[in-house]
Amino acid sequence: MNTTINSRIISFQRRLLIPFMAVVLLTGGCQKMLDIDSKRVVGEKNMWNSLEDTRAALMGTYGLVRAAMADHNAHWLYGDVRAGEFTSPTRQDLRAIMTQDLKASYPSLEAITNWRRWYAVINSANIFLERAPEVRQKDLRYSENNYVVDVAQARFLRAFAYFYMVRIWGDVPLVISSYDGNFENKPRENQAKVLAWAEQEMLAAAANLPYRYSAGDEQQQGDYYNEFTSRWDGTLARKLSAYAVLAHLAAWQGNYPDAATYSKFVTDNYARATNDYISTGHLTDANGFFYDKRTNHLFGFAFVWGHVDGSFTGHLEELTLAEPVVNKRIPDMYLTKDSIISIFNEAGDERFSLDTLGTPVSERYFTNYNGRYPIFSKIKCIMGGVADPTFRFFSSAIVFTRLEDVTLLRAEALAALGERQGAIEMLDAIRTRRGLDPYNEDVNGDLLASIFRERQRELMGEGHRWYDLVRFNRIRPSHPAVVALLANEGQTWPVAQALLAQNTLLTQNEYWK
Amino acid sequence: MRKTSMLTGFILLMCLSCPALLLASAGVATSLQQDSLDTDTSAVKPIALHGRDSVFTDLNSRSIKLVPDDMARFPAVSLQQYVKDQAPGLFVQENSGEPGTLQAMYLRGIPMPILSHRDSYQAQPLIVLDGIPLIGEHPFAFDIQQYQFDRIGTATNLLSNINMNNIESVQVLKDIASTAIYGPLAANGVIAITTKQPGSARKISFNSYVGMAQRPTVTTINGDYENAFRRQFYDRYTAIGRYSPDDSYPLYLSDSLNASYYGPSNWSDSYYQHGLLYSADADIAGGGDRANFRFAVGHLRNQGVADETGLKRYSALFNINMKPVKWLLFSAMINGNRVQRNRNRSLRDRFATMSYIPDLASPLAPNNAIYSQYINQFDNSFDDNATNIVEGHAKLVFDFDRLKITSRLAVDYNEGARDLFYPRTLMEENSFASNYYGYNQRLIYDNHVSYDARLDDKHDIFLQAGSILQWDAFKYSHAYAYKGINDFIKINLLESDPNNGNYLNPTAFPKELVYKFLDYTNQNLVSFYGRGTYRFDDRYTVSLLLRSDGSSNAQPTSRWLFTPTLSVGWNIKNDLLDDASAFSTLDFRASAGRLGRLNVFDNFSQGPTYSTMVGYYGNVVTPGYNGFGVLTRPYDFGWTGYGIPWAYTDQLNIGLDMGLADERIRINLDWYTKYDRNQLLGIPSYAEFGYRQSYETGMEVNNTGVELAVSIDAVRKGNGRFAWTPSLNLSYNANKLTALPGGLDEIIINDRLFRVGERIDRFWVWQNEGIYLTDADVPVQNGSARQFNGIRLRAGDPRWVDVNGDGAINNDDRVLTGNIFPKIVGGFMNQFTYGNWSLDAQLYFNIGRDILNAEMANRFDFINREGITEINSVKEITFWEKRGDYSQYPLYNPWSNVIPYRKEQDLFLENGSFVKLRTLSLGYDLTELLGKRTKLDRMFVYGTGHNLFTLTPYTGRDPELIDFLGYDTGYGLPIPRTYTLGVRVNF
Repeated sequence: MNTTINSRIISFQRRLLIPFMAVVLLTGGCQKMLDIDSKRVVGEKNMWNSLEDTRAALMGTYGLVRAAMADHNAHWLYGDVRAGEFTSPTRQDLRAIMTQDLKASYPSLEAITNWRRWYAVINSANIFLERAPEVRQKDLRYSENNYVVDVAQARFLRAFAYFYMVRIWGDVPLVISSYDGNFENKPRENQAKVLAWAEQEMLAAAANLPYRYSAGDEQQQGDYYNEFTSRWDGTLARKLSAYAVLAHLAAWQGNYPDAATYSKFVTDNYARATNDYISTGHLTDANGFFYDKRTNHLFGFAFVWGHVDGSFTGHLEELTLAEPVVNKRIPDMYLTKDSIISIFNEAGDERFSLDTLGTPVSERYFTNYNGRYPIFSKIKCIMGGVADPTFRFFSSAIVFTRLEDVTLLRAEALAALGERQGAIEMLDAIRTRRGLDPYNEDVNGDLLASIFRERQRELMGEGHRWYDLVRFNRIRPSHPAVVALLANEGQTWPVAQALLAQNTLLTQNEYWK
Repeated sequence: MRKTSMLTGFILLMCLSCPALLLASAGVATSLQQDSLDTDTSAVKPIALHGRDSVFTDLNSRSIKLVPDDMARFPAVSLQQYVKDQAPGLFVQENSGEPGTLQAMYLRGIPMPILSHRDSYQAQPLIVLDGIPLIGEHPFAFDIQQYQFDRIGTATNLLSNINMNNIESVQVLKDIASTAIYGPLAANGVIAITTKQPGSARKISFNSYVGMAQRPTVTTINGDYENAFRRQFYDRYTAIGRYSPDDSYPLYLSDSLNASYYGPSNWSDSYYQHGLLYSADADIAGGGDRANFRFAVGHLRNQGVADETGLKRYSALFNINMKPVKWLLFSAMINGNRVQRNRNRSLRDRFATMSYIPDLASPLAPNNAIYSQYINQFDNSFDDNATNIVEGHAKLVFDFDRLKITSRLAVDYNEGARDLFYPRTLMEENSFASNYYGYNQRLIYDNHVSYDARLDDKHDIFLQAGSILQWDAFKYSHAYAYKGINDFIKINLLESDPNNGNYLNPTAFPKELVYKFLDYTNQNLVSFYGRGTYRFDDRYTVSLLLRSDGSSNAQPTSRWLFTPTLSVGWNIKNDLLDDASAFSTLDFRASAGRLGRLNVFDNFSQGPTYSTMVGYYGNVVTPGYNGFGVLTRPYDFGWTGYGIPWAYTDQLNIGLDMGLADERIRINLDWYTKYDRNQLLGIPSYAEFGYRQSYETGMEVNNTGVELAVSIDAVRKGNGRFAWTPSLNLSYNANKLTALPGGLDEIIINDRLFRVGERIDRFWVWQNEGIYLTDADVPVQNGSARQFNGIRLRAGDPRWVDVNGDGAINNDDRVLTGNIFPKIVGGFMNQFTYGNWSLDAQLYFNIGRDILNAEMANRFDFINREGITEINSVKEITFWEKRGDYSQYPLYNPWSNVIPYRKEQDLFLENGSFVKLRTLSLGYDLTELLGKRTKLDRMFVYGTGHNLFTLTPYTGRDPELIDFLGYDTGYGLPIPRTYTLGVRVNF
């Protein structure tokens, strides 16, 4: 009896053995099964360990600036469309902006009155500034010099973001730390204070930024991130980028003495950075100045065709080009014939002028001048800089500033300060390069107005016009619509309703209440 | 006794290998649900559906017969279509009649606001085929899509893999007593499907139908009609035919001599057609007592009625059971399906796939001659969508009488490939090629042990403990390219010579216009459970299930979740009413418990992360900056912090099952309430830190409802030859937001307002009260005229109700009204039989739901949609179809900056209730007629009609063609009226 039971148990044990072993072996690894890293995102523990991490984070910050400017073509909606000189045949949202109806509820307006994308830049820079020292500790390849230059760029980009935002919204919350995980809502900070801070940041950054990268600059030794200078030229913030933006910042505040000083740094040192003035042909070629990354992009964000960076949107071309330049019946916006003639009112202008018979000398700035819609085709980088109209795929860079801009800004500053001779010299530096006669007060009228007119012609479609109008009317009230806005701080944009809803410390701009 | 100690030792050892099991085994094990996960039959015979302790088994389907053989008559493609009107508590959103498209299912309401496909994916019930929990698509692919109408890839309904002819039973499991055993995957309920099992006798059957889907009749319009429609606005609001000097009237409407637009509008001849429906299935089963098998093959073809859509399916299923020794059972199943789909050719979907919108100035012309020229361009293109779906398992059951040990390996694998080419002629000289390949794979290793301790005639105990290891992997690779060198090379060729400097670079398409994507994610799940059931004298049953689940997508600090479920049953009839003859059955049951809810994205398990997202509107995928990969916080995705706990669902179910008059009347009544707690919600916040939103935990949604199933043998067959069985299933559901993260009272997300205490599927609209005819009509308050979002209202603008009376119309004046998901869903079925004849009529209805007619809003808002290169401005060929009633809308000034024809107003909100005659089927059983001359077991022929009519107050098209936002976008292809003839033969 007993043995039977025993043998039954033994056979029973045998039968149990297989499933039992399997269970033990496989469940043992269950904790390992659960501790797996994501393959699609990088967790905190795998970031800030190496040189590649700082590079990726810094490039990411640049990418975010580009995204902020390109989103819904914001850079041009702010800078060119709002000036109201263009006309839109079809797009109601553009019309609303042109008529200063900025609270109209179109998706594009809701997007560009929201400053979130700029704060992404700021947060990204803040995190970089807080975390990059860890890499300095962990990765010996990350040299002190590399670190210093990286920090300078992050600080500059952050300050630039604040400057850009102040021009649009006025007071903005000043957030200079990442507050990671302990976010708190912040009220808007006085714009003067924000700009003063940004100016200091940019100056500090400028001190550490090189003139060029991987080019033997004493402030950036060796090959930056092991890449040659051709990889970096025109893409990163440099010393002159900082001074150019500083000049803009000072001018925006009406601080023309500083604007003159900062811009002088650029006009004195551009050769050191291998910058130069560009020809009209280069400016307007499909594969010219705006195509690719160029050293002469004093501060710009390229969509490099060769890097598969081109896109359908985020380029001026999306707004301005149409038949016959690209396959599109009606442009989103165009400049009427009358406007063109009144702006380009001097003979010999290589950008646009009419011959004695009243036909355009060139199609550099405008194509199809005599058609129903003259096409503003100054920037037309289609695909790899070709003239193929079939595919509306663009690769032009967003150029925030270039040497011509800084030169004219300097002219403006000097004119405002009463240094006429210097101002004329700067103005003529551009005029003569565009085929115009040197400035002559009898022919061209008031100097300051001429400088702004020259800016309008030279920088058309580069996101400057609206700010130029504001600065000009502050010094010399002449456009009634702009003057009326300025009187009530209406040059600002409304703060998006979505922002006000999520942060109760924020207030709407007085004019837009 | 020794055996039990062995068992204890066994469990203890299991516990040692993983401490979490201690939690599970600490309690007595269970749910009385005897599901297919643990159907351990000792003999090789069809798996017993009604296990010994199946008090709770398919109670819900007792009166509503989910009879697979009947369902198989429906010319359906997907499981969703089969079950749509069949089970109380289930709501199926079939928003397109295109065969094989995705259809969402919701069991017992929606556990979270459904704002995107992502949400919809996460609200789907679990489908279990022979104990294999099926894996679906992962929504991660939407991350790279600017336009999210369809997921990239084949977008084929993965539940097209159920061939109803192979199915023995379909159970819709809703109460936690029956779902808890499936763990966190089952948080949204379960549909358990069991395949037919072989027996010891040889059986052969053949089932087939052939039929057609009827071409719908539509009213077409042409340019003349559209021009007249628009002229009304120009006549009213413009002096010279232009609202402003910059206006441009669309060219295609300007020239009344242009026959392509002003000529006959007969495009529908090329667009709509009759569709062929066809299915043939055969199977054979055989073997003996120790080993048997069943093998089935099938082919199905289902053509849509519009745009040459269609689907083909090839399926095979193989079951085998073997019993080499008395105490060991081996069984295996493999189910393979290949689904090929012809997709619609709508412009919107094509442009969305290409992420490129060409000039939209000239829409497709309504003239058939011109339209068919366009259609012919597709001859040189291809759009191949093939999906292979395979699932299988192999199981060993060690059977020692009362003790059973089961070890099982199961795999569900599906892969989809979409190869696409559009020639240059189709789009402004730009060709496009795209290739997608993706797979979803689930591997399960599950072991459990059960012990049946029947003490005596009265006391009955059943114990079970088990562990499940589950590995999920999702992957896709996707590439597309524009502008190939010619229309003959249709694929994105790469340089194949490794010694060539151009190795792996594209050769036929410019490399600057080639985009490549890859994504891969894993999710692992480890579960331990134990359950125990005690039954006393067939009167009282109590069951407790304890489980502990660990997920790799949960944060390391809260990997594991312990959840209990308790169920009790009380057989009142046996206990108290033994003599009451009125009741033949009276059961009471109640269950309460908790189940975890999984994070779908592994991002959440990591805390703060870095990703490569530096895109922007219209270009969400930006590869980097200056040719370098980037890493930034996922600002567009949102902030994820630490300390995210498991989300879980708490459910309470009380049910009553009655049989009256000798089971002549069968009633099941269920009341439930469930709270889905601790859910993550993206709260728009921290914009000053760059984030679009912050994922915060703490959203809680309540769903409460009642489900009723009644079935009556009104006339029993008895002596007469006539029988009539009407049955009704009805479910009422109400959802409510009970808490938001951080104690918020309300939140606006994606232009929808969510307020605690309100339903989560409300429309948030302005109330429309007509029109301001003159500027003077606009009310003036505090010296200023009424404004809309800061814009002064004028003549021709809508008279929106100023709800809060502050003299301005803004978001504060929008009201929460209506509901997207129906309050009542049900089916009413009548089965008549007379002799060998049978007639089935099935009505399907939704009551208490609303529809926002977005298509109509778009038509009236033509000013904002004309001449703009934007996805919402795309005009399909169906633009030339008259849908709805234009006359019920006022003529506003469409140029106004207040956008008078904006969708978010009750002007476009309509009652979307409906009743459909979904099935009418007449059958005749030939078995008797053929008699003993043949070896036939049964032969049945039938003819059916489906979707025969719809009654609805809705003025648009079919009220079923609505998306999860409650919008009728006009994009759903019509659900066809179908007629089929079929035969079912068993030898």
